[in-house]
Amino acid sequence: MTGPGKVRFEDVVKMHGNFAALKGVEFEIEPGEFFALLGPSGSGKSTTLRILAGLDMPTRGRVILDDQDVTAQDARERDVAMVFQSYALYPHMTVAQNIAFPLEMEKKSKAEIEPLVREAARKVRIDHLLDRRPGQLSGGQQQRCALARAIVRRAKLFLLDEPLSNLDAKLRLETRAELKRLQRDLGVTAVYVTHDQEEAMTLADRMAVFMEGEIQQIGRPADVFARPNSIDVAGFIGSPPMNLLPGRIEGGQVVVAGKPLSTAPAGLASRDVIVGVRPGAVQVNGTGRAATVEFVENLGDTAILDLKLDGAPIRARISDGRPFADGDQVAITVAPQDVHLFDAETRRRIEA
Amino acid sequence: MKTKHLRAIGLLIVTGIFILAWVFPIFWSVLNSLKNEQDVLAYPPKLFFEPTLAAYRSVLFGPQSILPNLWSSFVISAGTTILTMAIAIPAAYALARLRVPGSRWAGFYVLATQMLPPVGIIIPYFLILRNIGWMDTYQGIILIYLSFSLPFAIWLMVSYFEDIPFEMEEAAAVDGASRLTTLRRIILPQVQGGIAVTIVFVFLNAWNEFLFAVVLSGNTVRPVTIAMFNFVSVEQTLWTQLAAVSVIAMLPVVILGILAQKHIVKGLTVGAVKGGGRR
Repeated sequence: MTGPGKVRFEDVVKMHGNFAALKGVEFEIEPGEFFALLGPSGSGKSTTLRILAGLDMPTRGRVILDDQDVTAQDARERDVAMVFQSYALYPHMTVAQNIAFPLEMEKKSKAEIEPLVREAARKVRIDHLLDRRPGQLSGGQQQRCALARAIVRRAKLFLLDEPLSNLDAKLRLETRAELKRLQRDLGVTAVYVTHDQEEAMTLADRMAVFMEGEIQQIGRPADVFARPNSIDVAGFIGSPPMNLLPGRIEGGQVVVAGKPLSTAPAGLASRDVIVGVRPGAVQVNGTGRAATVEFVENLGDTAILDLKLDGAPIRARISDGRPFADGDQVAITVAPQDVHLFDAETRRRIEA
Repeated sequence: MKTKHLRAIGLLIVTGIFILAWVFPIFWSVLNSLKNEQDVLAYPPKLFFEPTLAAYRSVLFGPQSILPNLWSSFVISAGTTILTMAIAIPAAYALARLRVPGSRWAGFYVLATQMLPPVGIIIPYFLILRNIGWMDTYQGIILIYLSFSLPFAIWLMVSYFEDIPFEMEEAAAVDGASRLTTLRRIILPQVQGGIAVTIVFVFLNAWNEFLFAVVLSGNTVRPVTIAMFNFVSVEQTLWTQLAAVSVIAMLPVVILGILAQKHIVKGLTVGAVKGGGRR
């Protein structure tokens, strides 16, 4: 989809005193894209969103919106809409008045506003609640009201700051699917902040993984999952996270805890590495390397085995945990294409 | 079960005593304002008598009418209230939102001004007013009242503004509202309870004030608290008329309280949106 809503961050730095909240963040978002900012708390993802909204000023760098430098522009001049984590609904106004507020600020007439409010409310299915006040709504309804207020204006950008974090688990799943549908229907550019990788994986067209004020990796969620470019991203994405074990490349083998685990990619010299294996890629079968079951976690449709591989802890995710008990001896194999190699010093991925 | 009953009864008795102590002066004033001169002085006091409005007629329309004094009180109290709120609302908003150096000490300073014994500052105030030629004027007495009410009103309002989450203003900014519009449409409606409470406090203090009024004014500007003493003289005390003036002087306060109550309750419920929390 092409249209307005193209974003570019150029070397954006944000200092809080001596603390660098953002250390030179750069990315581009295409019009119509659903872009997630993913990272643990304090990683700078919310600061990035606030700078994009115009609520915070960067210490250095530029923010470009539709080929226009908006770095110095205030939030009210930027034509962006935002859903806050707390929803920030105006408690003294009805739902209809809340949704109408951004339109009133555009000096639209009452006759223009009324149908737009109704339409936005209908899209998020709260058109029967227009006369209520936020205090009389459930958490999910408040969330929808905040969404309606954000979509009613057809802003260039649709910003969402952890919009699902105050909902209970069931509602979160429902709303997640609806959010995606809504964004597709509207065709707007959405920027979504979350610490929940599952949300980012399911919603985003592309995502940026934030760590300590820097973007570690940008890409399609599936690509980031398949090829994390650093130890930190590898350890953050995936649940349970990737197994990361100290090891060596030796004689064409990936050696972990003294013995070969898998075949190394061709062309790599002998060296120390960090070996990464997703729990789902650990195959528990009769052949291969011997390991001891320390603990079985049954999750219903899957099970997690906590294994010891000659002293090294490694986790396996399997479909059925029933055949296994604590203390069992098993044998595991890892396919060569499922092995991720990282440099322990630079923490970057070693490309074969 | 039994101890529960006992506790309820005990609570009722204690509450009863407090209410009695609070209601008695009002009851006494109302009762005596309706008596004639003989019944007032009767001993033992009469609870049943033929009520008369003679005292009210005399204090309102007689030669010693207190109507001009009520007007004076009103001008002083309303003037103080309007000026106080006009300054206190923006000042409190600024103190609550902006990082003003020394704002942490402001609260202490305000409380300190409220604790000063008034007699300690009445002489300097007297000298100031005399030097600028504002003795016995409305602007003079309002200026003095402002010096107490303003710090107190700001202090009170700051806490109401601080209760409003910052995200509310950010949401308004993203929605395209200017700072002034945000204050008018988003912030002020949410602190209307606080505004009502503050208005009542400021107005009441100004309306009830006696000491400064009697020292710094009294001839041309003569609020009702001073005028009341016309009815107390060396020869006699006109109890019925004194009581009638008291009742009349109480009325605006009571009316204001009732009017404000609606807003206070509304202000309490309006802020009740769950799901707040920090970013």
